[in-house]
Amino acid sequence: MRGSSERALLRTMMLIRGFEEELQRRRDHGFQLLSSGEEAVAVGLCAALIGDDQLLCSGRSIGPALARGLDPGEVMAELLGKAAGPCRGKGGRGHMAAPALGFFGAHAVVGGNLTIAAGAALAMQQQKRPGLVACIFGDGACGSGALHETLNMAAIWQLPLLLVCDNNQYSVSTPAIQVLAPRRLASLASPFGIPSRTVDGMDVLAVRQAAREVATAIRSGKGPAFLECISYRFSTHSTATRETRPILELEEWKTRCPILRLTSHLTEEGSLSDDTRKQLAADVAKTIDGAIAFADAALWPEPREALTDVV
Amino acid sequence: MSSEAPSIRLFFRQAIARALAEEMQLDPNVIVLGQDVGSFGGSYKEFAGLYEQFGPERVRDTPVSESGIIGLGVGAAAAGLRPLVSITYMDFLMLGFDPLINYGAKLRYKTGGQLRAPIIVKTTAGAKGQGVAHSQCIESWLMSVPGLKVVAPSNPTDAYGLIKSAFREEGPVVYIDHKRLFPTAGDVPIHETAVPIGEAIIRRTGHDITLVSHSYMIRVALEAAQLLAKDNISCEVIDLRSLAPLDIECLSASVARTAALATLEEGQITCGVGAEIIARLQEKLGPLKAVRIGALAAPVSSNPVLEAACLPDIARVCSAIRLLLQSG
Repeated sequence: MRGSSERALLRTMMLIRGFEEELQRRRDHGFQLLSSGEEAVAVGLCAALIGDDQLLCSGRSIGPALARGLDPGEVMAELLGKAAGPCRGKGGRGHMAAPALGFFGAHAVVGGNLTIAAGAALAMQQQKRPGLVACIFGDGACGSGALHETLNMAAIWQLPLLLVCDNNQYSVSTPAIQVLAPRRLASLASPFGIPSRTVDGMDVLAVRQAAREVATAIRSGKGPAFLECISYRFSTHSTATRETRPILELEEWKTRCPILRLTSHLTEEGSLSDDTRKQLAADVAKTIDGAIAFADAALWPEPREALTDVV
Repeated sequence: MSSEAPSIRLFFRQAIARALAEEMQLDPNVIVLGQDVGSFGGSYKEFAGLYEQFGPERVRDTPVSESGIIGLGVGAAAAGLRPLVSITYMDFLMLGFDPLINYGAKLRYKTGGQLRAPIIVKTTAGAKGQGVAHSQCIESWLMSVPGLKVVAPSNPTDAYGLIKSAFREEGPVVYIDHKRLFPTAGDVPIHETAVPIGEAIIRRTGHDITLVSHSYMIRVALEAAQLLAKDNISCEVIDLRSLAPLDIECLSASVARTAALATLEEGQITCGVGAEIIARLQEKLGPLKAVRIGALAAPVSSNPVLEAACLPDIARVCSAIRLLLQSG
């Protein structure tokens, strides 16, 4: 089930969560950067994107890749290093990409994808192609000079660029409030005259709504926009990192889980019955089983592929 | 290229502008990005006329954001444009290493061939009185990056031809001018040609020693060779033109004849171009009589006395070669 209906949003968020839970049970992939807790950012954003658009993201790529509609089996294959992955297993979590599907890709240098996204947007503008470029980055990237340079260039050339700050409030162990001076990261866009919004990143409907509004403005030629989504990751920075955040804080944020929230909303609204929810869960579990089976059966790249596609 | 091909005398900067004008005419996706590349025509007038001919969208003045414009260029290249990004001085290229090296050079590999970044980063190396952060030759740093090609012409003909070839590459190319070469002129073929990337050229034949260099230092090498000839030392001078990939075949064929090798570069000899060439040739030919010539292990000052003291010159090349050949 694809698309931007509420039920499709719920399903995709459940898929990301379940997919990552499966990954966490395994140790044969080195480590992963999980999106659990932050599903609503990528899923809400992707509900506002269309086929001609391109999405870029940080190394925390699983949520964005699945939200953009990549095949879960191929994503799993890429994460497990198999040649059936879209990058033939060479990119992994940090560099997943499927540009033909509108997923220009992840880049695991914090802030490293910002100027790249501006360049992709410049190409769209210069070639008069429809579409916009969206780039998801974390609060950590707001400390990088690349953001300043990107905001400036996007503003002076009115690039069709949607900058999405997935503010999960921590860079590994360091709280954003300790190392970033602006209290509201969206305000970073103001000096450049770039319109900005801050939304609840745990609320997929709020993210979708905001993303649709700014995307519409960008498509009508109004230039770049900055969307800050306040979120929280439920896992450690990576599956290999120790937890340093206060347990009470973590537990409190878990009560705001975007999946629980949309489930309650749809249930209260009467548009999601218990049976339908169970069916969705079963359907997602089946998709994940299929993805794991596909990836496990897929072949590793041949060692000689270390030298292919280099130059 | 045949020496009889009809040619026209052009200054170095004119050869660059001509190559760019031809490429921009040929392909609407070719754009030029950089500081002062627009109506100003480039710091060395090497973009003169392009802004007037192709307009502000295709010849785009940028903010002073070296990292930003290289990233922008790499992203635009990956998304279908053919950008040439101008970084006025090679020293500032360091600011753009992240998008160039972490992204551009690895893009084809990391995406399993789905994306490529055919960008040309054009920059200017070398000392000409501008001081410690405007004089460096760091081309050897780039030679160790898989996925990156590096070229450095010594004359207008090669400048023209290498830019033409760089626009036919599928990945990133760093093209390096030298400040002291801009006022020089040369005969550039009237008809469109290209100088293949990866091919060195013998500038002077000789049989006692092979002297390898590139960019402005070729002029120093040729003058040193002329001086040494008076002492009956016959130097074969090879102009690398392309630093990555290196034309090891051309170099090894020459050294197999001369049995001695001197490398000359304006940059540092530690992990330098010469160090790499000597190592590669030793692996191929066995133990070699070889010497590296380069700048002193010190920053290059804008002070004229100290700048001259730091850089290799004709006298230093001659004495290094004499010493090597005397060593038996």
